[in-house]
Amino acid sequence: MENATTASACTEGQLQRLSALLDTVLPASEDGTLPSAREIDFLAYLREQAPDFQAELIGILDRFDDNFPDLTLSRRVDLVRDFSGSDAAAFRRLLFRVYDSYYQNDRVCAAIGARPGPPFPNGHSIPAGDLSSLEAVTARGKGYRR
Amino acid sequence: MNASPSNEPVDVLIIGAGASGAAIAWSLTETRMRILCLEQGDWMVSSQYPTTRKNWEAQQFGAFHVDPNVRGLEADYPVNNTDSPIDVLNFNAVGGSTIGYAAHFPRLHPSDFRVRTLDGVADDWPVTYDDLEPYFVQNDRIMGVSGLAGDPMYPPKQPPLPPLPIGRVGEVVAGGFDRLGWHWWPSDAAILSQPYEGRDKCLNLNPCMSGCSQGAKGSTDITYWPQAIRAGVKLRTRCRVREVTVNEDGMADGVIYYDADGRECVQKAEVVIMACNGVGTPRILLNSKSPQFPDGLANRSGLVGKNLMFHPVALATGVFEERLDTHKGPNGCCILSKEFYETDPDRGFVRGYNMQVTRGAGGPLATAIRGLASGDIPWGPGHHEKFRQRFDHTVQVLAVCEDLPEECNRVTLDPELADSNGIPAPKITYRLSENSKKMLAHGLERGKEVMRAAGAKEILETPLLRPSGWHLLGTARMGTDPDRSVVNAWGRSHDVKNLFIVDGSVFVTAGGVNPTSTIQALALYIGDRIKANLANLFDD
Repeated sequence: MENATTASACTEGQLQRLSALLDTVLPASEDGTLPSAREIDFLAYLREQAPDFQAELIGILDRFDDNFPDLTLSRRVDLVRDFSGSDAAAFRRLLFRVYDSYYQNDRVCAAIGARPGPPFPNGHSIPAGDLSSLEAVTARGKGYRR
Repeated sequence: MNASPSNEPVDVLIIGAGASGAAIAWSLTETRMRILCLEQGDWMVSSQYPTTRKNWEAQQFGAFHVDPNVRGLEADYPVNNTDSPIDVLNFNAVGGSTIGYAAHFPRLHPSDFRVRTLDGVADDWPVTYDDLEPYFVQNDRIMGVSGLAGDPMYPPKQPPLPPLPIGRVGEVVAGGFDRLGWHWWPSDAAILSQPYEGRDKCLNLNPCMSGCSQGAKGSTDITYWPQAIRAGVKLRTRCRVREVTVNEDGMADGVIYYDADGRECVQKAEVVIMACNGVGTPRILLNSKSPQFPDGLANRSGLVGKNLMFHPVALATGVFEERLDTHKGPNGCCILSKEFYETDPDRGFVRGYNMQVTRGAGGPLATAIRGLASGDIPWGPGHHEKFRQRFDHTVQVLAVCEDLPEECNRVTLDPELADSNGIPAPKITYRLSENSKKMLAHGLERGKEVMRAAGAKEILETPLLRPSGWHLLGTARMGTDPDRSVVNAWGRSHDVKNLFIVDGSVFVTAGGVNPTSTIQALALYIGDRIKANLANLFDD
């Protein structure tokens, strides 16, 4: 998370709270195939795709105490839930940004079976599908009124 | 007011460059009249559509959101939906809402034009399916429609292109319909299944509703407009019309609009054609007050803005064990069922609905965000497990219900809310009728039934989808009686003989299918009637 505008704007404590917050809203999967959001370069995402959110993020981080990173996941979840209850709109904006960065990540995409990157120009192939049962549909005859 | 040399009078002025405005502009080119279209939006650039960008999904929640109140772009005007359970959706650009539609392209059925005769409700249209049939064919050819001939729920028709692939998801849901003995058919879609007239075929990108980077989806900026412009039609973008003006004889003589720099301008015209959709058109007419028309232009019937119809949508989402790759393929076009389209009195309501099978929530971000909003996919430790169950494993069947006209459902001018030019915003006043409520409930249950029959392990219910107000209909209805309609059988205002309306406002009833195909066929039909009556266009 170094070498980022937000990183330079954040205190060390804020950066640690950010890391813990990311790990709280999207921890690693139990089977280890999906990383925690703290492993995604969220600050690079913010810098490149959501610079307008940086100031609000710092404000959100300051809602949590310095000991937030030291708490158990269960306790952190409780505190984040409290935050979401007190400012649902801000929490939704935070989650949108976290999810957006997370589901653009190549490792995440590979793990969930989605091709990383934009759909265009490669697109996708899908099978034509079996239309043979339409014979039975047509056999039932005209179904419209005039 | 500015009347610059560029604003020389024209013969025909079209307001709005969307589905209907483009079609009638093209239709009228053969008259060699001076035709100008004013469009409040701009040209879209396909290379800048979301699917060309890494953050393609996020843009669907921002600049390419289906709701103009969320987008809030310069081209958009706000809509007050607070008195409606359904939000108005649209897109404002050259191409209009065809930029953001799913391109699901069914026609209205023959019975939709005769609801009074067949079912004793609402009114018959002054035109029939057969009147429009040649225009459906013409429009299918220009838009580039893919589909399969032989659907027994329609009179014979032959889409110009073979059907789009229905994929594994189509097979699975079709199996459900088959087990129940219900009708199903591949959707007609204004999406190319093969290269066609200089456009390449669909790449199955999925989010058709944020613009098609491939150009496979038939939006009018790439279908009608290039042809119309080559034939001499002028299209002026970023021009927002405030009002239609009238002369002392009560004839429309032009418009006042704001150009891209916010300057108030005048454009004179011999004929004015409204093509602004079922909310935009009544908004402008109601804002066009004059001593001759103190209640708004063409509104002596008092019906401008009234009889607003949507297509209320109930949604059953099936969750399947099998991975169905639902983030691949056109999101809104797979298969459909007309099993419950025609009236059956035993169901407790009149008319019916189309069952439209779509490809679920979309990509990963959309799956996560929509799952969060519905409470289905949590954040935190439980996220991944639920996400895996949902992503690429859900299918949706929409009951797209026919709404019947009621004067209490209406578009008016908001007394406070206005767009960036100070033009009053539309206010929507709408309630669901008892008939629509019963139809929605029936459609939801049948949707669940087909999902169970298809093997869904879990089914999620949405009894009424709020963001579903794409189809804006009925607010300047056509008819033969000037006291009970706004325009005649060929779109001409009863009150103002040189004012025409060609968008969904003129629908007498809504049918139960996506209306773009019928809107455009009607626009072409009206265009032909104008051409046939040019010598006495303004006569009684």
